[in-house]
Amino acid sequence: MKKVEKAKADAYFRARTRMIVIFLIIGFLVSFGVVAFAEFFSQFKFLGVELHYYMGSQGAVLIFILCLILNAVLSDRIDRKFGIDDKISVNISNSKNIEQ
Amino acid sequence: MDAQMFMSLGLIVATFALYIGISIFNRAKATSDFYVAARGVPPFWNGMAIGGDWMSAASYIGMAGTVMVMGYDGLAYIMGWTGGYLLLTFLLAPQLRKYGRYTVPEFIGDRYVNNTARLIAAIATLIISFTYIIGQLSGSGVVIGRILNIPAMYGTMIGVVVIAIYATLGGMKSVTWTQVAQYIILIIAYIIPIVFMSLQVTGNPIPWVTYGSVVDEIGAIDRELGLTEYFAPFQESDKSQFIALMFTLMVGAASLPHVIVRFFTVSTMKAARWSGAWALLFIGLLYFSAPAYAAFSRFILMTRVAGQPIDQLPAWTENWLNIGLLEIADQDGDGVLDWTEINANPDMVVMATPEIADLGIFVIGLMAAGAMAAALSTAGGLLVTISSSFAHDIYYRLINPEASDQKRLKAGRIVMILATIVAGVVALDPPGVITQIVAWAFALAGGTFFPVLVLGVWWRRMNSAGAIAGMLVGLGSTLGYIFLSLSGVTVFGIVDTGAGLFGVPLNFLACIVVSLMTAPPAQHIQDEVTDLRYPEQMTYKDGEVWINDGSGN
Repeated sequence: MKKVEKAKADAYFRARTRMIVIFLIIGFLVSFGVVAFAEFFSQFKFLGVELHYYMGSQGAVLIFILCLILNAVLSDRIDRKFGIDDKISVNISNSKNIEQ
Repeated sequence: MDAQMFMSLGLIVATFALYIGISIFNRAKATSDFYVAARGVPPFWNGMAIGGDWMSAASYIGMAGTVMVMGYDGLAYIMGWTGGYLLLTFLLAPQLRKYGRYTVPEFIGDRYVNNTARLIAAIATLIISFTYIIGQLSGSGVVIGRILNIPAMYGTMIGVVVIAIYATLGGMKSVTWTQVAQYIILIIAYIIPIVFMSLQVTGNPIPWVTYGSVVDEIGAIDRELGLTEYFAPFQESDKSQFIALMFTLMVGAASLPHVIVRFFTVSTMKAARWSGAWALLFIGLLYFSAPAYAAFSRFILMTRVAGQPIDQLPAWTENWLNIGLLEIADQDGDGVLDWTEINANPDMVVMATPEIADLGIFVIGLMAAGAMAAALSTAGGLLVTISSSFAHDIYYRLINPEASDQKRLKAGRIVMILATIVAGVVALDPPGVITQIVAWAFALAGGTFFPVLVLGVWWRRMNSAGAIAGMLVGLGSTLGYIFLSLSGVTVFGIVDTGAGLFGVPLNFLACIVVSLMTAPPAQHIQDEVTDLRYPEQMTYKDGEVWINDGSGN
């Protein structure tokens, strides 16, 4: 066990939280945002259909999926930057389960 | 027995044999196997299992039909049910995984160190899963009823027997791998018909890019008939109801105990994040396809069925008229069936369309097998959750802490069978269409659990009094609003399926106000919550963070 400096630990938490907030805002805008102004978006067309309908039927879901994949990739990168080794995490997690 | 019945039954029996084979091969031997599959499921496969667990009769049978009938307003289901995975993967899954418990009531009981909270959570889990399973059973009734050409009610009875036998065979470990198999079967069965329909209607086999123009054409036919366009927003419901429904489904999706428990089956926080991403990708495949399904069905009904002489309707109409899900009447007496004279129940659309489009007996049979896979995989996950919240959280943690593994497994299996039978009796006369029943389960889940779980992992100051108050206020106000709106009292045009918009904020408010008015939780509990900010390798202790570099403690 090694002590982590407070500034470093806080930086880790801040980086992760910032990402969560950004992705949730994006998710909110493409779903609730588009619905709230559906009448406005209906003047545009995308793939043969009006934009509000496209966003509801495909666009929002596509962006949700991209957010989750991007989050998983970026989080792994942050973990590596802060010296987290996934193999050790798995071991810690497994030994914790046996204790309980 | 005609060729179609033979084919459908044959495919269902063959897929069943596969699921039961997998169950027996992976039979649960220990408690941790039964509930969380010994926490060794890789994220990719866990994502697929979440997909199978998640996509129920409501997604498979109900959703495309709902979009077909409601047009744009039905898309609240698509965005709500997928958006929930953002909330779940960002706000809850990794933190809950690090906390490391078996079930949702167990997390609540241990985080708030309070057995009253544990009991309320366990009872709420039972209510939510029970409501959800009614939707599954009534879905299997539609499928079995159609295949055997009997009223949906008898179909439901047969479905109850099948599901009860099936679910008691294994636990979470066998459920994980059968859910993977069920996902694969249901997604293939769902996509094949829309590829053929796309080819029939547009000449291009890629439905996801072609159906936009079909939606546009449907709008043109609507205009000709003097109806509002299919894709026009807020025709079937108010904007406020759309937003309320979408909110309810999102928040509910993030707090369903039988979905959350799937995130306890992976090894780490990182694996939980990847599970969420894979899960939404697999789920998205079906959700991308449902609006396409809806558009093709509506187009085929409008152009090939509507406008026919009423005495020369195709053979398939009779089957659905017999089951009671289709109503037609020549209201204006001109001998021609007009579009406005067709009253199709949303629950028949997915099952009927391959017949209407004449896709051949194999595809129709495959649809039936896929629908059964969807109903069974979700029912399987729900029954494990019902049994664990009774056997583990109520029986073992509160009534008999000395109970052996065998005794707990036995108690769990008894509760599973009881729940299936009682839900089956309710499903004989379903209180709503499938998507609506399922939306109630989401409203209850979000209204009861979402604030208590989110604040539980993010806010140190949250205590047991707040959790109890929050769950009771949330559950009570959500149930209350569902019953009020069913009896005709609504606020801002929001109906029963949007009840979460009231339950969730009230729950948050109760949690925060009551927590601040009462004493903060013990220091070690607060430290445990701070610890959830960091990955497994970092530990928060007495205001300091330590990293385990693998050199041992």
